[in-house]
Amino acid sequence: MSLRIRRIALSIFRKYRDPFVLDGLTDGLNVIIEPNETGKSTLLEAMRAAFFIRHNTANRLARSYAPYGEAVAPQIDIGFEAKGEEWAVSKRFLKSASVEVRGPKGRAQGEDAEAQLQALLGARRDTSQGGDVAAHGALGLLWVGQGQALEVTAPGEIVRDSVRATLEAEVGTIMGGAAYQRVRPRIDSQFAEYWTNSGRPTGRQLAARDEHDATQRTSSEAMSRLAALEQGFSELEAARARLKVLNRDLADTTDADQRRALAGQLDVARSAAQLLETRRAEQRRLIDRVGALEDLASRLATVRKAVGDTATALNKARESRSSLVGELAAAQERAATARDLLVSARDNRRNAHAALGAARTRAAERERWVAIGEAQRRHAELVVLEAEYDATRQLATAVIPTTVIKALEERQRAVDKARAAVDAGATRLEIAGDVSGLTIDGAAAERGDQMLSRETRIRLGNAELIIRPPLGLQGAETVLANAIDDLNAGLAEHGVESVAAARVRNEAVRDAVANLRTLEARIGGITPAVPLLAIEAGASALKLFLAGLQGGAEGEVSDESTDVEALTVAAGGADTALARAEGVDAVASEQLREMDARNAPLMVQEAGAERDALNAAAQLATLEAKPELASLEDTLRAARQQEAAAMVNLQDAERAATALDVVTIERQIGLLDKRVEVARTQRADLEKAIAGLEARIEAEGGKGLADRAAVAREEAEAAAANLARVTQAAETLKLLRDTLESACAETSRTFVGPVARRARRHIERLLPGSEPSFGDDLGLAAIARGGLGENCADLSKGTQEQLAVLTRLAFADMLLEQGVPVSLILDDPLVYSDDSRLDLMTEILTEAATRMQVILLTCRDRAFRHLGNRVSLTNDL
Amino acid sequence: MLRLVHTADWQLGKPYGRFDSDVRAALSEARFDAIDAIGKAAAEHDVAHVLVAGDVFDTEGPEDRVIVQAVSRMQRYACTWWLLPGNHDFARNSGLWDRVRAKGATNIRILTEPVPCELAPGQWLLPAPLTHRHNLDDPTGLFDTMETPGASLRVGLAHGSIRDFSSRGEAQNQIAPDRAQRSSLDYLALGDWHGTLRVDVRTWYSGTPETDRFQRDEPGYALLVTLEGTVEPSVSPIRTGRFQWLTRSWTVVDAEGFAAECDRLLAQVEPSATLLQLYLSGIVSLSDKIAILSRLDNDLRHRLRHLAVTADDLVGRPSEQDLADLRVEGMIGTAAAKLMTLIEAGGSGGDTARRALERLFVEHQRGQDAA
Repeated sequence: MSLRIRRIALSIFRKYRDPFVLDGLTDGLNVIIEPNETGKSTLLEAMRAAFFIRHNTANRLARSYAPYGEAVAPQIDIGFEAKGEEWAVSKRFLKSASVEVRGPKGRAQGEDAEAQLQALLGARRDTSQGGDVAAHGALGLLWVGQGQALEVTAPGEIVRDSVRATLEAEVGTIMGGAAYQRVRPRIDSQFAEYWTNSGRPTGRQLAARDEHDATQRTSSEAMSRLAALEQGFSELEAARARLKVLNRDLADTTDADQRRALAGQLDVARSAAQLLETRRAEQRRLIDRVGALEDLASRLATVRKAVGDTATALNKARESRSSLVGELAAAQERAATARDLLVSARDNRRNAHAALGAARTRAAERERWVAIGEAQRRHAELVVLEAEYDATRQLATAVIPTTVIKALEERQRAVDKARAAVDAGATRLEIAGDVSGLTIDGAAAERGDQMLSRETRIRLGNAELIIRPPLGLQGAETVLANAIDDLNAGLAEHGVESVAAARVRNEAVRDAVANLRTLEARIGGITPAVPLLAIEAGASALKLFLAGLQGGAEGEVSDESTDVEALTVAAGGADTALARAEGVDAVASEQLREMDARNAPLMVQEAGAERDALNAAAQLATLEAKPELASLEDTLRAARQQEAAAMVNLQDAERAATALDVVTIERQIGLLDKRVEVARTQRADLEKAIAGLEARIEAEGGKGLADRAAVAREEAEAAAANLARVTQAAETLKLLRDTLESACAETSRTFVGPVARRARRHIERLLPGSEPSFGDDLGLAAIARGGLGENCADLSKGTQEQLAVLTRLAFADMLLEQGVPVSLILDDPLVYSDDSRLDLMTEILTEAATRMQVILLTCRDRAFRHLGNRVSLTNDL
Repeated sequence: MLRLVHTADWQLGKPYGRFDSDVRAALSEARFDAIDAIGKAAAEHDVAHVLVAGDVFDTEGPEDRVIVQAVSRMQRYACTWWLLPGNHDFARNSGLWDRVRAKGATNIRILTEPVPCELAPGQWLLPAPLTHRHNLDDPTGLFDTMETPGASLRVGLAHGSIRDFSSRGEAQNQIAPDRAQRSSLDYLALGDWHGTLRVDVRTWYSGTPETDRFQRDEPGYALLVTLEGTVEPSVSPIRTGRFQWLTRSWTVVDAEGFAAECDRLLAQVEPSATLLQLYLSGIVSLSDKIAILSRLDNDLRHRLRHLAVTADDLVGRPSEQDLADLRVEGMIGTAAAKLMTLIEAGGSGGDTARRALERLFVEHQRGQDAA
């Protein structure tokens, strides 16, 4: 059933310092469009104050209701309809705070009135400083302040409980419930006695474990102390037993008797031993004497034999050496001869080679002299050739180019032509007969034809015949003259007399060029390279060599021809002789060395044999000088007899001594004495040890170690049992808590489905084909579109706001189903919506307004002016 | 005629480490009080000699306080106390008995040597002291060789088990069962067995004067023995023990049956002098189990001196009603169902789950009671 606000009257409430009344609100959609700062948000604040903020609170929120600096009483009166009944609330804050609720059952004031309001609206007491919308129940979710809808938030606990209550029938599960609320904290507090939040043992578990460990420690300490004491007891017992045995041994007289008997025997034994010593000394002396005599005899025999042996050896050595001496001398001689021969062969060879060298030098010098002579001859020839070459070359350079020849021929032809022309016009004069006295133009005439081309005066005597050729001929004459001039000029230029001469000259030049090549070849031919004189090929090298040669030649060379060939043969002969002499010498030397090697040991052997022979003779002389040698045999025999007698005496003495051995007897006595002494020492030690053990046992024994150990052991066992119990309890509580936790989570999940289904109805219109997904706290967590999940927080601000409004609408519907009085108030909503979304949203809101009262507070005239019932604030302000 | 008090196994200084400290103190004190009870009985029946057949002390190394308490209490009475070393307090040089002797009590005779003593002319006491914790030979074998000139009565005093007692191979400190006859004893006073036991007409175990463990329900006794010539000895038990150590195994069907058992028990005993070891078994509903445990913890435990309950075999199976009650509670019902699944799976996890379910049920019940 919708909650319907009918009338709101304010006075001295924030902006509304003067009394203000808003009425005319309809059951459906109400739109309040006013500019900013008009008091729209204050209106929503006032409604919240009237319904949810305790009248007698003076918290920060309540103080903010009063306009600044005025100690006044902000008052709100609201008339409304809830659950189909008319209600009115009047609330005054701060100064003489009061509340009055008028409803179908009459009036209520103070706490009673607040309680009625809370019960009616499903709110709980708001104890916060700044107003807690979660405490305002359904209206806390559905009355959305400015900017509050910008994010999708989960509904508060009250709303969740209400919604779950709605759904419990539907899903067949009960969420939470009083029983759970009662049980859970107790289990949690019991759990906390055993475990930390992170699941580590603490509290009673730790205490039990610590106690267990401590008692175990104490027990094992006590046990070990007791064990030490027990050890003392057994050691004491053992020590006493040993002492008893010792005392018995010490009291025994057998040993003392035996010792006395042994002492008596000792004296007898000692005298026998002494006699034995004497006998032994005697016998040793005799043995020594016999030994000395025998030694002398044997030495004598040895020396005698040595003398014989050494003499033989000496003879043998000498003999073997004498056979070698002859061979040695011969070898030496051969070696000397070979050496002399070698020396003379070397001299011969040196001389032969020297003569050969000198002859070769001379031969070379002669060769050179001949070569130089040849060079000089060729040089003379060269000089002639070069002169010829130069001349020819001069000639070769005077060639007249072909063009010039042609030009000259041209000019010649012009002359001929002109001459022909002259000749054609000229007068032919033939003189015959005696011509004496006849002159032509002053010159004596000759017989024969004569061509006259100009005025010619022929005088015969005084007569003068003047012949005047035609005038035209004069022109031709001139042409001819010019042509001749030209020709002559050209000829003069090239130094020829005529064209024919020019041609002849060119012929000569061609010949000269050919001649030049011949000359070059000839010059090359007479200037070959001469390696002997270090002259290279070419004329210049030859000339250079001869210029460097002083006086034309290098002196005179004897003409005596040297026989180098014969000398070479002689030198070869000398070489062969030398090689042979060297071979002979080497063999002779080798033989000599070999003889020396065989001779040397024989010499040493001979010297050694001589020395040995001398030594042996000297020794023999020394020995033979000794006086006792004379009666050696007799003396030795007597000494041997004495020794045999002494041996018999010694054996008698030995028999006497072995019967009673002093050492054995003394050892036995010592043994007996030692035994007594050790036993006494042991007794003293044992007594000391026993005293120590007794003292220790007395000190420790009185402490009740066995009792203590028994107590400690039993305590340890009890602690272990306790630990097991505590651990079991801890495990039990852990399992129980975990189970409750998972039951809670599971149940939460079963409630999410129906919520999502209801919300989808609205959300599908906004985002077709999308699937909302809700968290355990019934908050919209994500939107799935086309199989892709998007976290709500990642959506655009506009979409988030729209979704926030739509989920609120879904909750409002569910709460309506449950009969909770709800209405929707949106302060400045949908600020980020585009036009089409805005249209869709207003359509949805308009439709929602058919089920519940909807109040929109906005400053955007164009967006909302066409909607619902428009209410104004300003008219009355 | 010779009149004796035969007692044994005082086990003074026994630690009782498994008990709470107040119970422990009471039990320890009761063992000393038993000396007074015996001394008074001796005085009352005009007995001159008290024979203690071994295990006077619990260990061979008791605290000095234990020795002083024991000696000073014995000194209060005119009778002569004949103390025989047993296996717990065997005789050895510089050991426990030297410490007792050093206290210089004239009416205490310590029998550390197997030497016969004349209690009165012609009345000989033949002791068989133990010199080790474990003796493989029959300590009473020496009785055959003991000279008791002019004996009109021969009384043996020994500590150990009669050979026929146990079927276990080679028991220690064994005593021939026909020792009295073999060694011509008029009476053989034995110790070691903590209950009073007649082996034959002349051979008795007196048992401990103050019970020290859950073994038999009877309190402790001493024996008043009258010997006269060849007549069979007259032996009568005198109660000396204060505490009763009871062991009960109850198979419980429901809370009412359990309550009835409790009431029946309480009617029979002196609760403040009763230590009860209770084994509970059976299958009950969860609510019944809670009621039973509540009765134990909130009532019986406080009435009795000591209560040890082993209820592992008492299975609290939630009844259909129990489960139905939980089921309507939403998440608690879900949790209970999960735990039931675990219980049915069995194993150690099942045991824990069973306890967890009980706990849940208890808390739920409490919550309902509170609501």
